Amino acid sequence: MNEVMVVAEKEIRQLAKSRNVLISAVMFIIIFGAMTGPAVLAGESTPGQTMDQLSFYLILTLGIFAGYLFTAQVFLREKQDGVVETLLCTPLSLRQIWLGKVLGIVIPASLLSYLAAVMVISVGSLAIGITVLPSPPVLFHIIFVIPAFIAAASGLMGFAQLLLGMRENQILNFAIIFGLIFLISFTRELIGPSFRVTWEVVGAALALAVIILFITSRFTRFLSRERIVTTLPD
Amino acid sequence: MRKQYLNIEYEVTITPAIEVSSLSKDFAGRTVVDSISFSVIKGEIFGYLGPNGAGKTTTMRILLGLLAPTSGRVRVLDADLARDDAARKKVGVLLENNGLYERLTAEENLRYFARLYGIENPKTRVEELLDFSGLLERSKEPVGNFSTGMKRKLGIARAILHNPEIVFLDEPTKGLDPEAQHMVRELILRLSGSGAMTVFLNSHNLDEVQRICSRVAILHQGKIQALDSVRHLTAGSGRIHFTVTLADPGKGSMARDILSGLDGISDVSLDGDKISMELVSARPHSVVSVLVRGGIEVDEARKEGQSLEEIYLAVMRQGQGDAA
Repeated sequence: MNEVMVVAEKEIRQLAKSRNVLISAVMFIIIFGAMTGPAVLAGESTPGQTMDQLSFYLILTLGIFAGYLFTAQVFLREKQDGVVETLLCTPLSLRQIWLGKVLGIVIPASLLSYLAAVMVISVGSLAIGITVLPSPPVLFHIIFVIPAFIAAASGLMGFAQLLLGMRENQILNFAIIFGLIFLISFTRELIGPSFRVTWEVVGAALALAVIILFITSRFTRFLSRERIVTTLPD
Repeated sequence: MRKQYLNIEYEVTITPAIEVSSLSKDFAGRTVVDSISFSVIKGEIFGYLGPNGAGKTTTMRILLGLLAPTSGRVRVLDADLARDDAARKKVGVLLENNGLYERLTAEENLRYFARLYGIENPKTRVEELLDFSGLLERSKEPVGNFSTGMKRKLGIARAILHNPEIVFLDEPTKGLDPEAQHMVRELILRLSGSGAMTVFLNSHNLDEVQRICSRVAILHQGKIQALDSVRHLTAGSGRIHFTVTLADPGKGSMARDILSGLDGISDVSLDGDKISMELVSARPHSVVSVLVRGGIEVDEARKEGQSLEEIYLAVMRQGQGDAA
């Protein structure tokens, strides 16, 4: 576990120095957070329900987006630069490397998702003129379920980035960006105005995140040093 | 290995640091490494030579456990580095890429790897190596700001950070100025000098290999074409490059004609007052005697063994001939 924390700490330190990536992530969160005002006003449900719905999927999507940006830095960039080859020669197992990197992504991405939560709640409250706080299940969702989803998503993306070649990774990145834009744009329509964020919904979301994370962690056994090295760019 | 001294036979144990037997590696039906076998003795500096695409990097990656062999067996410090995570603690690596994080400072880079290798008191060791690489004053700067040479030096420092038993160096002096190259060569000799560290050196720099390696393997198209000590390779080829300087340059053509007609001499060439030749079986003193008997006075005679570069080029030509 110690080596995992060493890797995680290094990734966080490196991300903190990646000014462009951090600015992109914060700007994205501010812009989409600011767009919640009109959404709350246009909601067909009560302001509390609309805020809960927005908090449920929008903060989650923004958190995953931050995780996606960081995953590209932590997994893909290391592969592009070829530094991963040296890392593979250290005493760390592939699972330790993967886990350390995922942890190094989850911590800063979760902090940004909390920033997104503050933005969404503040802008939404300002728009309707009263302070609307999220319900207890949504609060639980923000604090615990979203970090679990970020871990699951970045773990899966990181695994794919290690497994695939550079061309396949480019295609995957386009697919992820379009997927995230689709989620932000159409989730509200898909779930409908009657959707309520209950403890059951939040529990199911947490279970789903844990299952994805568990399965991805099992998948790391299909990773091999050879696979990573032979998919490095020339 | 069995040896004999004063009719007493005794056993000498030579522990190999690397053992490679019948190693082959195919990529998509193409054989990149073709049934090679060699061993590297503990404490020696072993040079691994070959042109681009010869299979050097592939061999090194297999030794490091980064690629699996198609067939054959590889042991490094009696372990399979692909499966044995703990055994990799005894191995240091400097690949073509320096293995450094450009956004982190020199100190952060070394401290990170020191912690991964579980070095006790990493601060002292990191400072020691920053000092060694001449980067102590710039230790707080991001590596991305460094020159190619500075990165290479830091990469070497990273590779030996944990005092490995064996270190794999891929072109360690690439991009370094002559002074830094000298420093790295001295360091490699010092590391290996105590017998504590084995060095596997992948290099194109034949002069460097000749200076520091005890044994070399020359690889061509995935096959080892020559494997011997540098001393044997350069001295034991049977060919001697021989140059005589004539007292009277006007007799140059005459001397060339005499020597061209002799057996055991080839490639006779005249350049001003100097005649160069390759002695295949003739001896230097007999060449001088023939010239003196022919009335040609010799001012100076000089013999040279073949350089590693000449051996290398000859091996390459032979390899191309075999392939054709």
